[in-house]
Amino acid sequence: MSATAVGIGALQLAGAALAPLFAGSVNRLKGRLQGRRGPSPLQPYRDLRRLWRKSGVAPAGVSPLYALAPPLVAASTLLALLLVPLAGEAAGWGVGHDALLLLGLLALGRFAVALAAWDTGSGFALMGASRELTIAVFTEAVLLLALLLVMLGAGPSSDLVAMAAAGSAPSAWGEPAHWCAALAFTLVALAEAGRLPVDNPDTHLELTMIHEGPLLEYAGRELACLQWAAATRLWLLALLGAELVAPSAGPFAARLALLVAALVALAVALAVTESVLAKMRLLRVPVFLAGAGALALIGLGSVLTGGGG
Amino acid sequence: MAGPGGVGSPALGLDGLSVFFMLVVTIAAVPALLFARDAPRETPHRRLLNALTVAFVLALLLVLAARDAVTFLAGWELMTLIPASAILVVRREAPVRRAVFVYLAITHLGGVGVWVALLVLANEWAIGGAAPTGGVQALVAVAALIGFGTKAGLMPLHAWLPRAHPVAPAQLSALMSGVMVKVALYGLIRVLFWWDGPGPRWVGLVLLALGLLSALGGILYALVQRELKRLLAFSTIEHVGIVALALGASLVLAAGDAGPGMWSALAFAAALLHVAGHAVAKALLFLGAGAFARGTGGGLELDRLGGLLARMPWSGWAFLSGCAGIAGIAPFGVFVSEWLTLQALLHVAYEPVAGVACAGALAAAGLAATAALAVFCFVKVAGLVLLGTPRSDAAAAAEEQPHSTRAALALLAGLTLVGGLAAGVLVPLLAELAPGGGAAVPDGVGLALPSTGGLPVLGIVVALVAVSAVVRLAVRGPRAAQRPAWACGQRVEPALAWTSAGFAKPLRLMLETGFRPRREVRTDIRHGVVQQVTHTAEVPHLFDAWLYAPVHRAAVRGATIARRLQSGSVRAYLGYLLGVLVLLLGLARSGWLG
Repeated sequence: MSATAVGIGALQLAGAALAPLFAGSVNRLKGRLQGRRGPSPLQPYRDLRRLWRKSGVAPAGVSPLYALAPPLVAASTLLALLLVPLAGEAAGWGVGHDALLLLGLLALGRFAVALAAWDTGSGFALMGASRELTIAVFTEAVLLLALLLVMLGAGPSSDLVAMAAAGSAPSAWGEPAHWCAALAFTLVALAEAGRLPVDNPDTHLELTMIHEGPLLEYAGRELACLQWAAATRLWLLALLGAELVAPSAGPFAARLALLVAALVALAVALAVTESVLAKMRLLRVPVFLAGAGALALIGLGSVLTGGGG
Repeated sequence: MAGPGGVGSPALGLDGLSVFFMLVVTIAAVPALLFARDAPRETPHRRLLNALTVAFVLALLLVLAARDAVTFLAGWELMTLIPASAILVVRREAPVRRAVFVYLAITHLGGVGVWVALLVLANEWAIGGAAPTGGVQALVAVAALIGFGTKAGLMPLHAWLPRAHPVAPAQLSALMSGVMVKVALYGLIRVLFWWDGPGPRWVGLVLLALGLLSALGGILYALVQRELKRLLAFSTIEHVGIVALALGASLVLAAGDAGPGMWSALAFAAALLHVAGHAVAKALLFLGAGAFARGTGGGLELDRLGGLLARMPWSGWAFLSGCAGIAGIAPFGVFVSEWLTLQALLHVAYEPVAGVACAGALAAAGLAATAALAVFCFVKVAGLVLLGTPRSDAAAAAEEQPHSTRAALALLAGLTLVGGLAAGVLVPLLAELAPGGGAAVPDGVGLALPSTGGLPVLGIVVALVAVSAVVRLAVRGPRAAQRPAWACGQRVEPALAWTSAGFAKPLRLMLETGFRPRREVRTDIRHGVVQQVTHTAEVPHLFDAWLYAPVHRAAVRGATIARRLQSGSVRAYLGYLLGVLVLLLGLARSGWLG
């Protein structure tokens, strides 16, 4: 483990602390775009502080799984974040940097939350869990196809460092497959992170909740933990997208600056799409994701016919 | 051994592959027999059932050690017949007899493929000798795919599996689902990779197609089942499909321009690792289901259980680890083999031939969807069986099982938990079993394979446990008194509890064109007042309705026509004999008979 690897890991952990700021900034921008002042970008931190001081609540008759879910979700999300390279460098804290492992860790978090929903037996929690798992079937397949395009470009390799090196080379944009991968990844990441038009992260209506549903019974520090994990998941997907498709070159500092620029651009884009798009019906979501899958398949076709290189 | 696998010279033998499968059989058999020890005293023919179970295990081992066609086929038939007789010893009801009949009929009809493959191979002196080529090789490959595929439960030849596995006693189900289908896969591997030579590329592509169909179809139908053991049987089809995907990838990669390389050996290792991982997890789940059936004293309809984690803690926690294991949750063993299979499919997608590459990419996407569906399915199972409040009085009064059942379950649960950790050591060993030997797979616990980011299971487990523990300590603040769950201010009543069908409903709606569910709502109105509304819904098994039913009808019609030959008149039979004689003489005369 080299000094840079340790440094990258530390930077990733700092990024995890900044994740609520990213979500808060998107909300602020959204407010501005909609003609409101919008909440302060620091609002998520204030919410977390408020929750941290409150006492927890457990529904009657829950098993130890209920208390186990928030730490497991936090741990799997943090670990998944550590797999993502930063400016093309991997943290390498003994957890590897593999793209397929990252998908597995995200599934672990989903599994823990859905089991906790069954544990509470609450109708709304289960409604959310059932929808989340249903959508995950489509997102996993399409996300894999989108990542596959980048993997094929890297040699083939599912090593995120090699994928980032291949995807961030400015010449990659000359290939139609890269465009398809970028678009498909963006669409499927919206669904995976629980953003519009698939899920509304700001909803307070139980009947429309997807990702928020299973969290409904939690309170206090456990809820703070889960909310932080949700913000970190958005941060992780934004970071992954920026690493794998945004162009980047030069020394480490320059690449880091380009990464920050890409993340800011993503935040603005997210605020714009969330201001202009409405949430779609649940049964329309597969159509939306099938569109992303079709894009990925078009990209695959262009790779197979040798288009662009 | 008189000659290389000639007919009539019984030969036994062992090699790495046989030993590996024997270990898998043993690992599942020991807990299954421990479980059988605790069978209630009033079980009919208890001793006979136990004797047959042991005989079944021995038959499985015989198939694995056979090195000539006759011994192999003898073991093969015993392996089919013993569980059938064991089921009939315990249960005599008409539906059970029917299920056993379907099992025997389909596996014997499909089993013709095994006989054809083995006898042709023996005729070519290929068992232990040089593999055939050309048309003979193709004939053997097709026959083996049909014969072993039927017994392994590959879709669309699977129709017997979800019928036969649920009706057997739990220890037999565990052995049938956990290892019998694996022995069929062993036969497939033995024929396609050794006796019939490394098959050509099209065999690999056919395996990829069958594997994808079985994986997706198996788990989709598992998701809509209401009975636990039937659900587990469909999940077996899914996992056989995943093994077929890995085997197909191995064949395709070995048939590529570069010849058998590291990734074809790794795909082979992924298949074997998946065989072991699934055998352990599926045996655990079937024995756990058996423990629940004994504990609640009745059937295993999912909507009848619930809350068993608190009432049967040993069985419950073991079952939960089985659910996590079989759903491919990181970092358990099945996750490692699925990860490795996906990596192999990625390399198939990189093959220069566009069609092959496309098949690899689609199979990879399908496997990802399968993994997500498996998480969905086993969250549902764990939730309905173990969590929440009991859904029936029987579940509320459930009692924990005696010691040897607990020991059996704990043993398998322990194996599930350490399976992922052992994978790093196992994969290089298993890759060496591949035909042509593993081309230098880097060993070590970390699975740091080239062109992957590595899968350091140990590091991940340590990190997950450490971070979870720290977070758990940090968030363990004061807890207010327990409250009922939020239901918009209503009282939480049993009628509000979620059902198996309800949980899977969003997916069923989205895939309605594929599932074609039947539903019927009957409203009973008298004097303008609704008295009663009954709602029935089911997801029919389309393979039965669209594939097996027409074949069945055609067979019955054909039999009716053939029966006309049986007039009962001696003169007609003499006429038939004369006709055959004339035909044979004519053929002999014209030199057709050589």
